Amino acid sequence: MARRLSRRSVARYAGDQLLAGVAVGEIMTLLAAYLVTEKQTKHAGLIIRDIEEYVAERGHVGATVTSAFALSEETLSELRKYIAEHTQATDISLHNEVDEKVLGGVKISLPGKELDQTIATQLTALKTRFKKA
Amino acid sequence: MTELSKELRSAIERLETGKELDEVGVILRVGDGVAWIHGLRKAGYSEVLQIETPEGIVEAFALNLLEDEIGAVLLGSDSAVKAGQTVRLKGEVLTVPVGPELLGRVVDALGRPIDGGAPIKTKTRGAVEREAIGVMGRKSVHEPLMTGIAAIDAMFPIGRGQRELIIGDRQTGKTALTIDTMINQAKQNTGVINVYVAIGQKRSKVARLVERLKQEGVLEQTIIVATSPADPASLLYIAPYAATAMGEYFRDNSGHALMIYDDLTKHAVAYRQMSLLLRRPPGREAYPGDVFYLHSRLLERSAKLSDELGGGSLTALPIIETQAGDISAYIPTNVISITDGQIFLETDLFYQGIRPAISAGLSVSRVGGAAQTSAVKSVSGNLKLGLSQFRELASFAQFGSDLDASTKSQIDRGQRLTELLKQPQYQPLSVWEQVASIMAITAGYFDTVAPAKIKDAQAALLTRLSTDHKKDMAELDKGAKPSEEIQKTIETTALAVAKGFKD
Repeated sequence: MARRLSRRSVARYAGDQLLAGVAVGEIMTLLAAYLVTEKQTKHAGLIIRDIEEYVAERGHVGATVTSAFALSEETLSELRKYIAEHTQATDISLHNEVDEKVLGGVKISLPGKELDQTIATQLTALKTRFKKA
Repeated sequence: MTELSKELRSAIERLETGKELDEVGVILRVGDGVAWIHGLRKAGYSEVLQIETPEGIVEAFALNLLEDEIGAVLLGSDSAVKAGQTVRLKGEVLTVPVGPELLGRVVDALGRPIDGGAPIKTKTRGAVEREAIGVMGRKSVHEPLMTGIAAIDAMFPIGRGQRELIIGDRQTGKTALTIDTMINQAKQNTGVINVYVAIGQKRSKVARLVERLKQEGVLEQTIIVATSPADPASLLYIAPYAATAMGEYFRDNSGHALMIYDDLTKHAVAYRQMSLLLRRPPGREAYPGDVFYLHSRLLERSAKLSDELGGGSLTALPIIETQAGDISAYIPTNVISITDGQIFLETDLFYQGIRPAISAGLSVSRVGGAAQTSAVKSVSGNLKLGLSQFRELASFAQFGSDLDASTKSQIDRGQRLTELLKQPQYQPLSVWEQVASIMAITAGYFDTVAPAKIKDAQAALLTRLSTDHKKDMAELDKGAKPSEEIQKTIETTALAVAKGFKD
């Protein structure tokens, strides 16, 4: 019996195909066929995360910025600059998500990385610190 | 109120505001104190992870690093941890507060106070997992660590930096031995710091211990690291490592510390639970393959440091509980082979009233001989052999057969020695008390005293020596071989005392 491939190997293969310029639809069809055959469909979300991480490591980053209010174009451009500096990415697609629950500040989510400077998280950290003391 | 707002302000200032991107992953599944995480490719073994839950941050540490996921053990309750929550890599291994600020305190495995006292603010923190000192940084064991228990100090001496296992069935006095040793450090002003680790011990037992140490005035030079059966297995697992980090602080600062691990059987069981939940393959008695390394790396941290490193020491007294006296079970044999000797406590002896119930035949100290106090060494020559032979002969004697004179005298001497080595709890003996007592038996001064009266005769001898020859006894207490004059004094006094207890 053939050894089952690890999620990471599958993601690596799909990522390489994407970077080589193969059409997304074609790769996804292949991936779907593999997942169905191997009865691994429940891992689809994780494989997508792995592919995103793999592609991000090669300079193509899809980032989400969460804030309590919509950010100005100027701020987004500053954030883009920050992401480029910290990830060496050449291609950044930025998406601004508005979530009142963060109360203030921003959260930058990249594949496998995050910078959380929201008030909500600071308050959680504060709560934990006081609980410990 | 002002104090509180000041605290809050400084806490806000202390909050991490680093602008670096954190490595993050996500919880896939969680249960039984173990979380499986996707992502965090850069996580290292034993690295701390922070899980964001609505009730605050729960810490965990990575133990299984697989290609697709990480198995991490939670250091707190898993009730608030759910699948899908974000996990952050803290970028550091587990540390605990270390330093003299911990003296007199009862803390949990993470160094948090559990005695209701003030928060502990130490200047330094020590890594829970730390590599043991290398060969060149060590010196052979040569300084005595007096337990105050005559049977141990005379027959199985322990040196500073040694690892001496205390092994026996339940209720045979294992913990009592270690408590007496801790008390003796305070009574004899040895300057040795005690670190007692309760691994999965009942809270009531720890409370009793704390109370007793307080009564004896020992708590001020003791750190107690307590974990109870209600704590997660992860805390039981890290408790001895965390406590060792606390002890190492004193060792590395030219001090001397005594570690008491009570007990490593429960530690192995906690590790087995974690390993099975992490789906590691079970081996003998369902323990994982690295259960030997679990204890060897812990006990290897005990050492006598070289003069270049300050000459500090860390002595270890691990405890192992056996089932029906079986010392050939998996964990006992492992720890016996790791340590530098063992003190075996027998249930039969315990119920015969021989307490401490030390088995002379199965106990041994492999390196302590070099560290034995000259005074005790000079009188305890072949005590162990004599006692072992007596216990063999004693079994024949009970058949009532005719015995030759030499065998009979050996049995008589053995009976007196057995009586003498019985020692009540919480009453450790100083060097001069041990020397005078043993000499009275081995030199035959108490040969006319009936075995049943030996303890009374010993008490009388010690009282008379301490009142009439205080200076000589203070000299003897320094540990040097007794001079002929002192020996003569002991002889005269012992013979005089023996007259009063003649059969």
